[in-house]
Amino acid sequence: MIWLTWRQFRGQALVALVALGALAIYLVILGLQLRGAYDTNVGCTGCSAGTGAQLLKDKYFSALLLTGFLIILIPAVIGAFWGAPLIARELEAGTHRLVWNQSITRTRWLAVKLSFVTLAALAFTGILSLLFTWAASPYDRAINDRFDPLFFPTRNLAPLGYAVFAVVAGITIGLLTKRTVIAMAVTLAVFTAIQILMPTVIRPHLAGAVTENVQFTAGGAHGMWLDQTGRVSVDGYDVPGAWMLTSEAILVDSTGGQPGKAVTEACFNGDFEKDKACLEALNLHSVLTYQPADRYWTFQWLEFGIYLLLALLLAGYAFWRIPRGLS
Amino acid sequence: MNPVLRTQGLSKSYGSRPALTDVTLTVPAGRVVGLVGPNGAGKSTLLNLAAGMITPTAGTIEVLGSRPAADAAQLARIGFVAQDTPVYAGLTVADHLQLGRRLNPGWDDALAEGRVAQVGLDPAQKAGRLSGGQRAQLALTIAAAKRPELLIFDEPVASLDPLARRAFLQSLMEFVAELEVGVILSSHLLSDLERVCDHLIVLTAARVQLAGDVDDLLAAHYRLVAARGDLDLLPPGVEVIQAEHTDRQSTLIVHDTLGALPGISVEAERIGLEDMVLAYLTRAALGAVGGFTPQTLEAHR
Repeated sequence: MIWLTWRQFRGQALVALVALGALAIYLVILGLQLRGAYDTNVGCTGCSAGTGAQLLKDKYFSALLLTGFLIILIPAVIGAFWGAPLIARELEAGTHRLVWNQSITRTRWLAVKLSFVTLAALAFTGILSLLFTWAASPYDRAINDRFDPLFFPTRNLAPLGYAVFAVVAGITIGLLTKRTVIAMAVTLAVFTAIQILMPTVIRPHLAGAVTENVQFTAGGAHGMWLDQTGRVSVDGYDVPGAWMLTSEAILVDSTGGQPGKAVTEACFNGDFEKDKACLEALNLHSVLTYQPADRYWTFQWLEFGIYLLLALLLAGYAFWRIPRGLS
Repeated sequence: MNPVLRTQGLSKSYGSRPALTDVTLTVPAGRVVGLVGPNGAGKSTLLNLAAGMITPTAGTIEVLGSRPAADAAQLARIGFVAQDTPVYAGLTVADHLQLGRRLNPGWDDALAEGRVAQVGLDPAQKAGRLSGGQRAQLALTIAAAKRPELLIFDEPVASLDPLARRAFLQSLMEFVAELEVGVILSSHLLSDLERVCDHLIVLTAARVQLAGDVDDLLAAHYRLVAARGDLDLLPPGVEVIQAEHTDRQSTLIVHDTLGALPGISVEAERIGLEDMVLAYLTRAALGAVGGFTPQTLEAHR
């Protein structure tokens, strides 16, 4: 059965190997460039680490963001092109009626096919995730925002969970729809929906967020904005390495309410240093909620585990369904 | 020896549409079984149930004494060739033999290679480019080389031209003789089956109309021709299958279930297989449109 699975899969495997080769070369080049840039700008003796990190960010943020998108896209493509057709194509062409009548149970047929392709997806995504994590590591060391939802899914364990889930979802959806193209479309839609739900609805609540009151000091603010209602938001209160759940720090007074419009407006006179000092005198603070940096690996494992669990549930359904005949 | 096929109240429906209704059958071992009926009668459903491709809605089915597709051992005992003889279009003939070799512990390599050479299949050819006849031969080879106890074919010749049809049935009969294998095959044409089968099942509108060994069936069916009215009373056990009346004369085709008919004085004439099957098909067709039903015919006895 392994032979047959390989025989049916080898065309796709060849395409994947070529793609993997090209991506690996790109990631190695990116990694080496980043290392060079890190040594010149951040790791150098006597230069400012803060300025160097900003330089690194300006230069590589877009490249890493886009490559990161590619790393998330790959499990989706694998799910649609490896997972969805695996059974749907057999049902569409009627070849399941040939192979199901050899001396091998459907359960074993499914087990071998599913394991083979899932392991291939795991290996493919694993290599890419490993290379990308390595390539981005100087950047992550300097800027430390790998917990940010834009970067979190692109490194370490998370992509492996996505790959397993996408492949198994593709296979199971193919079994249900019995049509390759429909299965591919549904797989992509389901994968995308869950990828949107995860960082917005589920991941923030995987552990109770930390809430912290941060006193406003003139030294801590990098920038501040006053809106028409008198609300002041402040930039510069990021907790290093943490995933900030409050997108901006809003200044409140000791009662927890917003200071009056007249009070804050009086402080904005166009001179940044004087304005900051004025605000500091008002004894204001902001409330930040975030997931602290030391939870990064817990969250990586949880993310991986959740997708693995979803994959197991779907696979369980497929194994329950397949011996029962299709109609 | 277990019967080849035994069903009890077997039914299968797709949604509210019945595909097979209350089929109770026992097919003894060692027969070449023909399953005949018009398109849509439920032949494929019955054979797919026998191969375990689908599961019954109600009732039970046993093939060679076990539940179909229950485990690998049961799968090894049955060679099923589905309708339109599916093959992997992207794999070569040699790949298909490799598939058979890898997936069947009882695979007979000599038989497979021999057959492929004999029917002139190119091992390097992609199965998707084979003609219908060649594809059917390939499917037959794979099913036979796993050395099953029973071969099941669903409309194997329906899509073949007359020459390929003949060649396929020829090959099939060679296997039957050579491998001592039981066979069930279906067709909507009796002419495909009558030369090869010794047991017949007639299926129409999801129900079995007739089942039995061909010799027994032929021995129990007669055409009765007599003056109109003379046949209004028939002995017990004689069932009217088809009745045609002119002003003066009646022609009946009857099933003599008790063997009593030759003893009475009417002109009883043996009929051929085709006439017999046609009578059943006609009865079922008329029953379906509300003309003759078996119940109204009962009243003629």
